[in-house]
Amino acid sequence: MTEERRPIPLKRLPRTGAVRPLALLAPALIVVLVLFGGGLILGLPQSLGYLPAAGMSKISLKHFQRVLFDPDFFSSLGLTLYVAGVSTLIAAALSLLAAMALVESPRWLLFIFQIPLTVPHLVIAIAMAFLLAPSGMVARLFQNLGWISGPGDFPLLINDPFCIGILLTYVWKEIPFMTLMILSALKNSGMEMLDVGRTLNAGPWQRFRYILLPILLPSLGAAGLIVFAYTFGAFEVPYLLGQTYPMSLPVWAYRNYSDVDLAARPEGIAIGIVIAVGVTGCIIASQRLARGQKRRGTVF
Amino acid sequence: MVMVALPFVPLLLWAFSDRWFFPALAPQSWGLRAWIYLFRTAPDQILVVTLQSLWVAAATACIAVAVGLPAGRALGIYVFKGKDLLSIVLMLPVVVPSLCVAMGLHLWFIRLGLAESFLGVVLIHLTFCVPYSVFVMWGVFSNYNVEFEDQARSLGATGVQTVVRVMIPMTLPGIVVAGLFSFLLSWTQYLTTLIIGGGKIITLPILLFALMASGDRPVAAAVSLLFVLPAFFTLFFSARYLGRKGLVGVW
Amino acid sequence: MGELILDRLILRFGRRTVVEDFSLKVADGELVSILGPSGVGKTSILKAVAGLLQPAGGKILLDGRPLIGTAPEKRPAVMVFQKPLLFPFLNVEQNIAFGLRMRRLADSKIRRDIASIMELTRLTGLGRRRIHELSGGQQQRVSLARALVVKPAVLLLDEPLSNLDADLRQQMRDLIHKIQARTRITTLFVTHDQAEALAISHRVALLLEGRLRQVGSPRELFHRPADPEVARFFGGTNFLEGRFEKGALHTQVGVFPLPGFNGNGHRLTATIRPEDIVIRERGPYDLEGRVVRTRFEGMATRVWVQSGNTLLVVLTPDSRLTPGQRVRMHLPPEKIHVFPPPPDERRA
Repeated sequence: MTEERRPIPLKRLPRTGAVRPLALLAPALIVVLVLFGGGLILGLPQSLGYLPAAGMSKISLKHFQRVLFDPDFFSSLGLTLYVAGVSTLIAAALSLLAAMALVESPRWLLFIFQIPLTVPHLVIAIAMAFLLAPSGMVARLFQNLGWISGPGDFPLLINDPFCIGILLTYVWKEIPFMTLMILSALKNSGMEMLDVGRTLNAGPWQRFRYILLPILLPSLGAAGLIVFAYTFGAFEVPYLLGQTYPMSLPVWAYRNYSDVDLAARPEGIAIGIVIAVGVTGCIIASQRLARGQKRRGTVF
Repeated sequence: MVMVALPFVPLLLWAFSDRWFFPALAPQSWGLRAWIYLFRTAPDQILVVTLQSLWVAAATACIAVAVGLPAGRALGIYVFKGKDLLSIVLMLPVVVPSLCVAMGLHLWFIRLGLAESFLGVVLIHLTFCVPYSVFVMWGVFSNYNVEFEDQARSLGATGVQTVVRVMIPMTLPGIVVAGLFSFLLSWTQYLTTLIIGGGKIITLPILLFALMASGDRPVAAAVSLLFVLPAFFTLFFSARYLGRKGLVGVW
Repeated sequence: MGELILDRLILRFGRRTVVEDFSLKVADGELVSILGPSGVGKTSILKAVAGLLQPAGGKILLDGRPLIGTAPEKRPAVMVFQKPLLFPFLNVEQNIAFGLRMRRLADSKIRRDIASIMELTRLTGLGRRRIHELSGGQQQRVSLARALVVKPAVLLLDEPLSNLDADLRQQMRDLIHKIQARTRITTLFVTHDQAEALAISHRVALLLEGRLRQVGSPRELFHRPADPEVARFFGGTNFLEGRFEKGALHTQVGVFPLPGFNGNGHRLTATIRPEDIVIRERGPYDLEGRVVRTRFEGMATRVWVQSGNTLLVVLTPDSRLTPGQRVRMHLPPEKIHVFPPPPDERRA
């Protein structure tokens, strides 16, 4: 963020001390550590095959092995990465354009633009199904225009190999989020910076490359990361709009977990842990990267 | 604008259609069949499920705010050792998929008798609602000037009075938004509710998935519209009281 | 070269006109201040010259060539904003180099130019600093250096000192004055601080309510204001109205000789600065009055004196005066400034 970095004025001097803040944080920490941390940690023995209730008590890595060496794992991983990566990239590119278009727009337009923020993914997924299904509204429109001669002619856009429906749902949901994230960076003296660049003889491309991008990259990166992590681990949209094979990782995990055969349950949890580790690792890596870049002090 | 509105068009059309066969662009006959079905034919189902969803989300939101408020205050106002680490730990559930947590906790919830129970579902929702609430309140308190409280104290207010008369009124919009966000997050949960609730605790999203599977488009569309209502309410409220910034957290 | 001419410039925001009919000629190498209270459109004038604001009418000429229609990045005018607006992702050197990089100059040339400009702006040694490690004054100097290094034909300074502490502001003001004298870059300096404008400029243009009221040397504006409002802006509160007859101004409170002035029979308004009125116990005096109020201001005391129906403000070194006291005042004729009569009255 490009807030004015000046010495903190006296009136906003943060308070110090360790006892009070810890006491204030305690309830939240308990919830997170016990429920969230506990969930992850308790999942581990189960993924290692320790499920006394199902008569399994031998601890081994075989479930992880079985998951990781399953050829389906790689097709699932590939699909999940594809969906998360492509939707994030498209949304990021469109958000840049949207932010520039919206920076001086009236409030009501901004408000309309924010609607997708609070609308649940599930509702949009359902709407996409209604729109894009072979008998959906777009197909009906094409039929009426004479472009296709029946639902069978319409290209497969949901439950399809390219995950068009899933991508569209995510992009629709993500653009406002990413745009608002970069919009605050842009409004926070970003536009003035562009003016400075103009008077210093920077042309349109130079302004984009040397001013706008460096200003927006941190918040765009952060937004992209959150979005990527979310789409990587999200279940509902691929479950509803995805094809039966390959499945996205979370869907695959749940399928295993809810299998009537209890022996598949550890594998489901194992996939879950792989997802969690992957997402966390991804976040930490990009944080490191960002911090390193900041320390070196140049994106120029 | 068109892009924003587009997905709602089929929902609205389907929800108010009685017959709509391919390839007609608009329903052949309009009507309230879906709504009549929901509120007349199967009122028990929709009413029970909606109330169930409401209670779960409301309980989750209340606890999330109660827990998030002090934590946000600690993060927003104080500087202390280990703050970075603690804030990362607190924010981790925002990015780590809740699916993994729910699967891990499920077995233990069964043992403790929390599975298939109201409390169990609320607890699992709290794992990600609390971090969101902390995040929102953190933002609220980093823009909050504690000197107002010092001023109140010097004017003779007791500790409790300061909290009730100064801190809460000054952070109220933030508190409400944190509550609404948590409500919405819980309200829209599908998988964690399904795993922990085990089919006993049925909320709107679970019903929606079932309706989609059954292929009754008008009813699914009608329930979708019902389902999206709190989202609009939250949007209006936070746009009114927090402006742009606070909204980002809800995503 | 850089002779800048603004000819009947009109600036509007939507339907609101902020600057009306503004004409100003800035000679090559001259520093002209645009002075006025906040919100009269001073910044808008700079932005119009920089090209960041499209004028609703009028012309902007640089060395005779029209600037309007040229994109801001193609204009040889550089603006320094009120906030330093340094790029947070670049260090000090990189910020200063920005304009040169945009012109794709060679690295060796850029290094040399930066080094000399950093010396001029007293930034030597700070080149590798990050922006947030700088003080407010340093930041504003970097911002100035960043503009100067591209050797603009016109430098536009938009209240560059207003975010600084008082003593820092003094230093910066002197620095700008020195640099401008050395580089002789044509400079338009916008400020709401009269002391700043008077101290730094060759000429001052006073803008009140979107209109140019007077242009002239600092002394002219201060001692020979064009009208009562200009006088009031510079702290003049004493106005004498009357009729000019036989070499003197006849007012209700008294008669004031005005040597060297002619124009018998005219109704006139004259002014005298508070510090020019002399309070004395003996010797000839022009007016007598009663002290209504006093305010001790350190180096001087401000005294409100009621004389007939006129309230005069006097700035005097004498701090012993008290309300109720009767005082005699001398108004030196050479310090009385008569406003030129407004055009419509002259015709009548």
